Amino acid sequence: MTTQQLRPIVSVFPIKGKVKTIKQVPLPSVFSAPIRPDVVRFVHTNMAKNNRQAHAVSTTAGEQTSATSWGTGRAVARIPRVKGSGTGRSGQAAFGNMCRGGRMYAPKKVWRKWHRKINTNQKRYAVCSAIAATAVTPLVMSRGHRVNKLPELPLVVSDQLQSLTKTRQAVKFLKFIGAYRDVEKVIRTKKTRVGQGKYRNRRHVLRKGPMVVYARNLGIKKAFRNIPGVETASVYTLNLLKLAPGSQMGRFIIWTESAFKLLEDIYGSWEKPSKFKSGFYLPRPVMVNTDVERIIKSDQVQTVLRNRRPRSRKYGKKIQRADPYEDMSVMVKLNPYYKTKLQKQKELDEKNKKERKEIVDKSRKEYEDWLYFSEEEEEEEEEGSDEDREIEVLSDEN
Amino acid sequence: MSKQVPETIKKQVKRSFNSKEVKKEKNQKRMTLLKDIQSKAFKRAEKYEKEYLDQEQKLVELKQKALKEGSFYREPEPKLAFIIRIRGIVGVPPKPRKILQLLRLRRIYSGVFIRLNKSSLRMLHFIDPYVTWGYPDVETVRALIYKRGHARVNHQRKIIDSNEMIYDKLQKYDIICMEDLVHEIYTVGKNFKHANSFLWAFKLKPPVGGFSTVKRSFVNKGEHGNREQYINTLVKKMI
Repeated sequence: MTTQQLRPIVSVFPIKGKVKTIKQVPLPSVFSAPIRPDVVRFVHTNMAKNNRQAHAVSTTAGEQTSATSWGTGRAVARIPRVKGSGTGRSGQAAFGNMCRGGRMYAPKKVWRKWHRKINTNQKRYAVCSAIAATAVTPLVMSRGHRVNKLPELPLVVSDQLQSLTKTRQAVKFLKFIGAYRDVEKVIRTKKTRVGQGKYRNRRHVLRKGPMVVYARNLGIKKAFRNIPGVETASVYTLNLLKLAPGSQMGRFIIWTESAFKLLEDIYGSWEKPSKFKSGFYLPRPVMVNTDVERIIKSDQVQTVLRNRRPRSRKYGKKIQRADPYEDMSVMVKLNPYYKTKLQKQKELDEKNKKERKEIVDKSRKEYEDWLYFSEEEEEEEEEGSDEDREIEVLSDEN
Repeated sequence: MSKQVPETIKKQVKRSFNSKEVKKEKNQKRMTLLKDIQSKAFKRAEKYEKEYLDQEQKLVELKQKALKEGSFYREPEPKLAFIIRIRGIVGVPPKPRKILQLLRLRRIYSGVFIRLNKSSLRMLHFIDPYVTWGYPDVETVRALIYKRGHARVNHQRKIIDSNEMIYDKLQKYDIICMEDLVHEIYTVGKNFKHANSFLWAFKLKPPVGGFSTVKRSFVNKGEHGNREQYINTLVKKMI
C-alpha cells in the first residue's frame, strides 16, 4: 500500500559556500503519513499536562479556628462564629467558603490527577503526523515561520552541521541557508509575559524559531543553544510538544542528512516496521487516493452510473393560466373543438332565427289578412242596417 | 484557434442523458404526441356534443311520448351530484367532520363531485347541515373543470393548463383531454373514480349576492341540503 511507488527526492545542502544541491536523498516514508490535526491535538493536550507540578492549598487553611454556630434566636445567620471576646475576630463568621478568612470551596488537593496516560500508538501517530506536516510549506508558513527564502522544504543539510561548536558558526549557517529570518522574528517579538508569570520566573515570552534535528551531537547542541528561538533535538527522541507547539503542526525543521535518513528506520514504512519502535508500522490513511473528483470522473465509475434523472419539476413554479372563458387561446388549447362548436352554434342560432322569423312573418300575415277580411265584412254589415236604424228612431219618439 | 477539449469532457458529453441529440429526439416525440392528443380531443369533443344533444332530445321525446299515451315518464334518478361546503370548520361534531374529510370538503366553499348511490346518499344525509348539493348540468360541470379545475399531480395542486397534463395521468383510463374529463364526470362513467380523484377539490368563491341563511335547509328558505337543479345557479354565483 504505497501511494507513491517512487519516493520523491530531497536535496541536501552544504552549511557554507554556495546554496547548491550537493546530494540527493529519497524522502522517508514518514512524510507521507496522514496528517491528522485531531490526533495531534488530542495527544498534545494530554502530553502537555505531563510536565505539571502539583500545587494545592494548605490543608489547614481557613480551618484554624474553633468556631461554633450561635444557633437560632439571636438575629444572626447560623454560620459558625469565632468564639471568645476582646478582639475584632470574635463573633466573626468562619469556616464557610463564603466567609472572610474561611476555607475555600473544595480545597485543592495534591492528589489531583496531573499527568495523563496516552496510548503509545496514538503518541507515535501524532509524531508521524507532525513530522509529515513539517514538509508541507503552507502548514509551516501558517504556523508563522518565515520560510520564504529557504531553498527547499524539508530542509536537509550536510552532516557537517553536527560538528559545529561555536554559536557564531551556527548563526552564520542560519543566515547562509535563509533560516535567519525566522530567528530575527523571534528576537523582534520577545516580550514581557502578560500576567503573573512575569514575577514567577517566567518573565519573557519568545516565539518558536527553527528546530535543528541531528543524528549525533558533535557540538551542535551547544552551538545552537544560545540562539533565541532555536531548539535542537536528536532524531531518536523527537518530542511532539516541540514538533507541534501549541498543537499547531508545521514546525520549521532543519534536518541533518543522517538524521533525515534515519527517519526511515525510526518510523518505518507501511511495508517495513520500525527498527526502533517494536511492531510499529506507519499509520495508514483512510483514503489511498484522495483525488475524489478524478475517481468520480473515471470511466470505471461513470459507465456504471445510471442515467441522470431529468430535473424534477416536483416543486416547480406555479403555472399561471388565464380564464378560458375570457381568453380564447387558452380555451382552444384545452378544447380544440371549441371554435367549431361556437361556429356551429352561431349557424344554428341563425337558422333558428330565420325559421322563427318565417313563422312570425307567416302568422303576422295571417293576422293581417284576417283583419282585412273582417273589415270588409263589417262594411257589408253596416250597409244593410239602415232600416233597422229607422225603426229605432221611431220607437224612440214614442 | 484550436481548442483542446479534455477527454473526460468528451466522454461525459457522449454519455450524457441530456445531450443535444437526445433532447431533440425527446422533444420531437413529445410534439407528435401533443398533436395526436389535440386531434383526438377535437374528434371526441365533437362526439360528446352530439351525445349531450341527443340525450336532451331523447328525454323530451320520451316525455312527449308518455304524455301522448296518457302515462308518465319517470326520469332516471341523477347519478352525479356537486356538493359545496357552506359552513366553516368550527364546532363540527366528529361524525360529520369525518365524512366531510372523506369527501375532501375540508374548507368552506370547497366543492366536489360525487356519484350518487345508496351509500353516498346516506353520507350526504349526515352532512346536510354543512353542505348544499344538487345535480349539475353539463355547462356547470364544464365551467367548474375549465375555470377552476386543478389537478392533483405529485401530491400538489396544479391548474390544468393543457391536455398533456390529463393525458399523462389518465391515459390508461382513456381520458386524454378536458372534454373527456367533463364527459366522464358528467355521465359518471366507468372511470369516474379516477377522473374525480385526479381533480383537486374545487375552491369556490363566496356567492355573489350572498346566502339567505345557512342555518335553515334550502327547502325552508335557507341554503343547506339538497337543492337539486338550483345548484347550477349557485355555482354560477360562486365560480
